[in-house]
Amino acid sequence: MQDIGRRSRRFDALDKARGTEQFATDIYPPDMLWAGALRAGVPHGIIRRIETARAEKVEGVVAVLTRKDVPGTNRQGFVYWDMPVLCGTRVRHAGDAVALVLAESRRALAEALRAIEMEIEPLPVVDTLDAALADDAPNIHGLDTGNVLKAATIAKGDAEAGLAECDVVVEETFYTPAQEHAFIETENGVARIDDDGTLHMTVSTQAPFRDRFEIGRALGLDPSRIHVTGPYLGGGFGGKDGATVQCLLALAAMHAKGRPVKMWWNREESMLAGYKRHAARMRFTAGAKRDGTLHAVRCELDYDTGAYAHLGVEIMALGMEHSGGPYRLPHLEAKGRCVYTNNPVAGAFRGFGVAQVSFAFEGMMDRLAHALGMDPLKFRLRNAITRGERNCAGVTMTTSTGMEECLLRLRDHPHWKSREAWRADAPPFTRRAVGVAAVFNGMGYGRGLADYAVAKVRLTGSGRIRVYNGVSDMGQGNASTFVQMAGEILCQPESVMELVQPDTDRTHPSGSAAAGRTTYTYGKALIKACETLRDKLFNRAALMLFVDDGSGFAMIPGGVRHLPTGRDLPLAALAAMMHPDDRISMAEHLMPVTPEPVRGGEAFTLGFPHLLFPYAAHLARIEVDELTGRVAVLDYVAFTDGGRVLNPQNFEQQVHGSVAQGLGYALTEDVLTEAGVLRSTDLCTYVIPTSLDLPDIESHAVETIEHTGPFGMKGIGEVGLNGPLPAVASALYSAGLPMTRAPFTFGRVLAALEDDQPGTGSEAAS
Amino acid sequence: MPLFLPTDLSETLALLADHPEARIMAGGTDLLVRLRAAGRTPGTLVCLERVAELGRIEALETATGPAVRIGAAATITDLLRSDTVRQRLPLLHRAASAFAAPTVRNAATIGGNICTASPAADTLPALHVMNASVELASRRGARILPMPHFVTGPGRTALEPDEVLTGVVVPVPRIFTIHHFEKVGQRQAMAIAVVSLTAMLAVEDGRIRDARLAWGSVGPTIVRCPEAEAILRGSRLTLTALTEAARAARRAVAPISDVRATADYRRQVAGNLLLRLADLPGRKPGS
Amino acid sequence: MIVFTLNGIGQRLDVDPTLRALDVLREHCGLTGPKEGCGTGECGACAIWMDGVTRLSCLTLAGQLHGRAVTTIEGLADSWDENEATDTTDQPPLHPVQTALAERGGVQCGYCTPGMTMVAAELLRREPNPDRAAIREAVSGNLCRCTGYHKIVDSIEDAAETMRKKR
Repeated sequence: MQDIGRRSRRFDALDKARGTEQFATDIYPPDMLWAGALRAGVPHGIIRRIETARAEKVEGVVAVLTRKDVPGTNRQGFVYWDMPVLCGTRVRHAGDAVALVLAESRRALAEALRAIEMEIEPLPVVDTLDAALADDAPNIHGLDTGNVLKAATIAKGDAEAGLAECDVVVEETFYTPAQEHAFIETENGVARIDDDGTLHMTVSTQAPFRDRFEIGRALGLDPSRIHVTGPYLGGGFGGKDGATVQCLLALAAMHAKGRPVKMWWNREESMLAGYKRHAARMRFTAGAKRDGTLHAVRCELDYDTGAYAHLGVEIMALGMEHSGGPYRLPHLEAKGRCVYTNNPVAGAFRGFGVAQVSFAFEGMMDRLAHALGMDPLKFRLRNAITRGERNCAGVTMTTSTGMEECLLRLRDHPHWKSREAWRADAPPFTRRAVGVAAVFNGMGYGRGLADYAVAKVRLTGSGRIRVYNGVSDMGQGNASTFVQMAGEILCQPESVMELVQPDTDRTHPSGSAAAGRTTYTYGKALIKACETLRDKLFNRAALMLFVDDGSGFAMIPGGVRHLPTGRDLPLAALAAMMHPDDRISMAEHLMPVTPEPVRGGEAFTLGFPHLLFPYAAHLARIEVDELTGRVAVLDYVAFTDGGRVLNPQNFEQQVHGSVAQGLGYALTEDVLTEAGVLRSTDLCTYVIPTSLDLPDIESHAVETIEHTGPFGMKGIGEVGLNGPLPAVASALYSAGLPMTRAPFTFGRVLAALEDDQPGTGSEAAS
Repeated sequence: MPLFLPTDLSETLALLADHPEARIMAGGTDLLVRLRAAGRTPGTLVCLERVAELGRIEALETATGPAVRIGAAATITDLLRSDTVRQRLPLLHRAASAFAAPTVRNAATIGGNICTASPAADTLPALHVMNASVELASRRGARILPMPHFVTGPGRTALEPDEVLTGVVVPVPRIFTIHHFEKVGQRQAMAIAVVSLTAMLAVEDGRIRDARLAWGSVGPTIVRCPEAEAILRGSRLTLTALTEAARAARRAVAPISDVRATADYRRQVAGNLLLRLADLPGRKPGS
Repeated sequence: MIVFTLNGIGQRLDVDPTLRALDVLREHCGLTGPKEGCGTGECGACAIWMDGVTRLSCLTLAGQLHGRAVTTIEGLADSWDENEATDTTDQPPLHPVQTALAERGGVQCGYCTPGMTMVAAELLRREPNPDRAAIREAVSGNLCRCTGYHKIVDSIEDAAETMRKKR
C-alpha cells in the first residue's frame, strides 16, 4: 500500500529503471521526417538575405521554410509576445531561428542547414546590463522605455527613514550568472497533422495545455484542433515551461503532408537556443539595530532577460517580493528593472528570481552580523519570520511558517556546534569554514493568474483505478504522488492503480508544472475527486447489496466492504454494474491568494504577491584550497519546512536535487558569453557537478502542517535551490573571503585569497 | 563510408598506405567529438581497437635499464588495471586516474591522448618527466622519437600521414622517492586540466638530489622548467626553496586565457602547485 | 554488413558503419533505452556494454559493433544469471541495480538511469564490495541533474549487498 507518509518506491521508477519508459525522444514514428532550425549565429543584426535554393536541392530535403512561410502572428511568449518563431528581418540573439528545414534523414538535414546562405548585417551588440541601460544603447525591441521591459518599485514602511534609524548599515552589490537548466533530455518532440487537420504533438513540455494556445497564436491555428501529449520529461526545471520546439515543430508538420516530424535539439542547440536563469545585479543597503534587530533594506535589482521577455517581469517580481529575506522586516524598498539585451533568452528556472536575491539578502545578513559582532545564525534566528507577522513584502503569514524551527534545528546540528574545532583542524594550505543560509520561496502563481487544477479519476471497466494527471512530471514525482494520494483515499495498492499522463484530449487543464504548485493544487483537486468517487462507490454498492445507503461502507484493497454485514464487493463487480460515465469523478481546486495589497504591487498584473511559502535553513562545511582557490563542499545539511511529508523518499529527492543544482550554481555554473556569443557551448564548457563534486546531502524535514494543502503539504521543488549559493558564500565570508560574484570559481576565490592575505598567495608571486 | 577494423599491424600499415585520405581512430573519444564540432561526417577511418599487438602493456629490460612498453591502443582503463603500470609508473597511473571518467577511459587510449597533442592531455606530463619515447611505424619502416620531439605544438605532432603510433616506451624511474601529480580542473571528474603539475623528486637525507617537473595546460605543449629543477636540486623541501622554484616556473610558463581560466590564474597556480611539495607537519609530500 | 549479438540475439544490419552506434540501436534496432544527453561523451546516458565493458554509444560507430556482444539496458536483467531467483511475477526480471535504483529513490526523471545502471552493473560485476567513494568514482562520467547522486550511491550500495547475498 502506498500510504501517505510512508517511504515508498515511486510509481514511475521501475519502468524508468528498465529503460522502457517512453520519453518524447524515444518516439520514432514510421515514415517520419527530421526538422531542424538554422540559428542566426549573430547576436544582433538585420537579415539582408536568406537564400534557400541550394539547401532545397540537397537530396532528401522536403522543405526549407523561412519567415514568409509562417501563417500566424509569428509571435511566441507568455505575457509579452515578443519572440518570433522564425526571424524575418531582425535578429536579437545568436540562437534566433531564421529558417526551418524538413528532411528525410539527419545527415540530409545537417547538410541542408549548412547549405542555406544567410547575410546578416550586424548591429551593435548589447551584451551587458550597463550597455542596455546606456542613454545611447541600441533599442532592441523599440520600446519607449528603451531596453527596460519593466521597472517597478515595491515598498513596506519607509526604507529611507528606517535606514536612518539603524545603528549599523552595510552596502554591497552582488552579481549572479545566467544558469543553464542542463536537463539531460534536451528539448524535443514529434508532431503530425492528421487527415482531419488536427495537429497531434508529443513534446517534452511543462505546460501542454498552454502550448496549444502558444502554437495557435503563433501559427494561426485553432487551439482546439491542437492535441498535445506530455509524457514524462527527462528533466525540466523551468526550461521546458514555454515554447521550445513547439511552434517550429508545428510549422514543420504543416509542411510535411501528413507525415510525422521529429525535432530534437542537440546539446549545442539547447545551450544556444534554450532558456537560462536570468543573470542579475543586485545593489543592497541594509541596516540593523545594535540589539540585533533587522530594521531596513533598500535594494535595486536588475535582471538580464536576454533577447526576449519570457517570464522575465514575473521573475523580477518574485525577486523583489523576496528581497528582504524570510525575516521580520519593518522597512523595505525594492526597485526592479527587467532589461533586454542580446544575450541568450532568460526564462523560468527553479528558484524563479529568488535564487538570485537569496545570495544578496543572505550576504547582507552575514555582513550585518559581522558589523554587529553577532553570531550569524543567532542574528538570523532573532529576525526569522513567524506566523501571523507580515513578511518583508508586507503580506501577513496566515499559513504554516517554519523558518524559525528550521534554524533552531540547524543550531543543534553537530556540524554547527563543532564548527570552531573543525575550522581549527584544517590541514596545510586549507581554510575550513561553516556557512548557513535561511531561504524561502513563494508557492503558486500568485495573484492575477488563477492557480487551478482539474483532477479526474476513473474506476475502469475491469475494476482498476485510473488517475488522469493533468500536470507534467518532469522528474519531480508529482505523478507518483497522485497515485499515492488516490491509493490512500481509495485504499488501493499500487497494483490496482493506473496513470494517464498529461494529454489535452484525455486529461484536464491543470496549469503548468511550475512554482512548487503541482502536487499542491492538483493534489487538492484529486483528493476531492477521489472522495467523490469513493462515496459514489459506496452508494452503488448499497444498491447491489440491498442496504439502505452508502453509510457503513469502507474501502478495502480491491473492493468495498459493508461493515455491518461483513460483505465484500470487488471493484470489478461494481465496475460491471456502473455506467462508464458514472465511473468517473472530477473535481477542481483553486489555490488561495492573499487579499492583502502590497504597496507598488499593482505594477504587476499577475504572479504577485504570494501567500504560501516553504522555508529552509541550510548548512555547508567547506574547504578552500589556498594554492588553487578551489572550494570543496564536504558536508551539506538541509532543514526544510514543506508542511507534512507525503513520501519521505520523494521529499529527500527534491531536497537533494535542488541542493545539487544550487551547488553547481554556487561553484562552477556560468553561461559565459562574449559580445552576446555563447562561450559555454556544451557540457564540457558548461560545468555541472559530477558524482565526485557533491557530498552526501543530509536532508531533514521540519514538519509543519499546511492546513490549506493536500494532507498538509507544501511544494518544496524550488526552495532547496535557493540555499546553497548563500550558504557557501556565508562559509567563505566567515573564512575571510567576502564574495559578491557567483559562481565562486577557483579564479575568483584565489583572487579573494590574495586580497585577504597579501602575505600568502602573492608572496609566492612576487 | 568505410570503417576499417584491421586486426594486425601490417594490415593497418597497408590500409594507411592505400588510403591516404583515411584518418586513424583509436578510442574515438576526441576524434569523433572534433568531427561533430566541425559538422563533418567521419569519412574513411582506420580503427585500431582490434590490433591486438597495439593493446599490450609489458615490462622490458633495455640497455639503459628497465622500462615499460605500452601499446598505443591500450586504453586508459588498461593502464589503470595494469599492475606493471601501477607499480613501475605510479605517475602515469595517477594521471590515468584523473583522466575524464571511467566511461571515457574505457575507450580512450594512450596513443590517442599522445597524438591529440593537447597541452591539457593528462598523460603527457608524466610521459615527459619519465623521458618516454614513442614508436612510429609505416610501410617505410619504424622510428623512435623522444616525446618532446614528437609533440611539436598544440594538436601538432611529427606523425607522417602514412604512419601510426604503435607504442610508447617509458623508462622506469629508479632514484625518485616522491612521485607527485596534481591536476586542477573545474570539477573532480570529466574535467579538462586548467593547470597540472607532475613532479618526480629524489630526496636523500632530506636533500633533493634530483628533480623533474612538468606542467600541463600552461603553454602550447608540456612545459618543463630546468631553472626550477636546478633551484630545487641540492636544497631541502622547504617553502622557501619551493617558493623560489615557483617564481622560476611562473616565468617559464606561457599560458593562454580561455573559457576555463585566465592566463594569470594559470601562471599563478603553476607556481603555487609546487608549494604542495613542502614537507610540512600534518602533510607528507607527494602523498 | 554489421553482424553482432544484441541482448543475446543475432543481428545483421546493412547500415553505414560510420553512423553512431547510438543512432543505430535506437532507430534501426528499436532499443530506446540508451539515451542521448550530449553526443560528446560528457553525460554517459548512452552507455551500453560491448563484450561486457561499458562503452559510450554516442562515441562508438556502428561498424565497431561488428562481431561484438552488445548489451543495452533492455537486456541487462537477462545478463544476470541469478534472475530465476527474483523472477516470481509476470513482470520482466530486473537486475539488482535496477531494483535498487527504483526502491531506494535513485530514479527521478529517469533519463540518466539507463546509462547509470549499465555503468553501476559493470562495477558490481568487477568489484562486489565497493565503498561509497568507489561508487562515486565509477559513475563520475554519468551526469544526473535530478538526484545530487546521493540516492544513486545508496542504491548501488544496496544492489551490491543484494548481489553479495545471492552469490
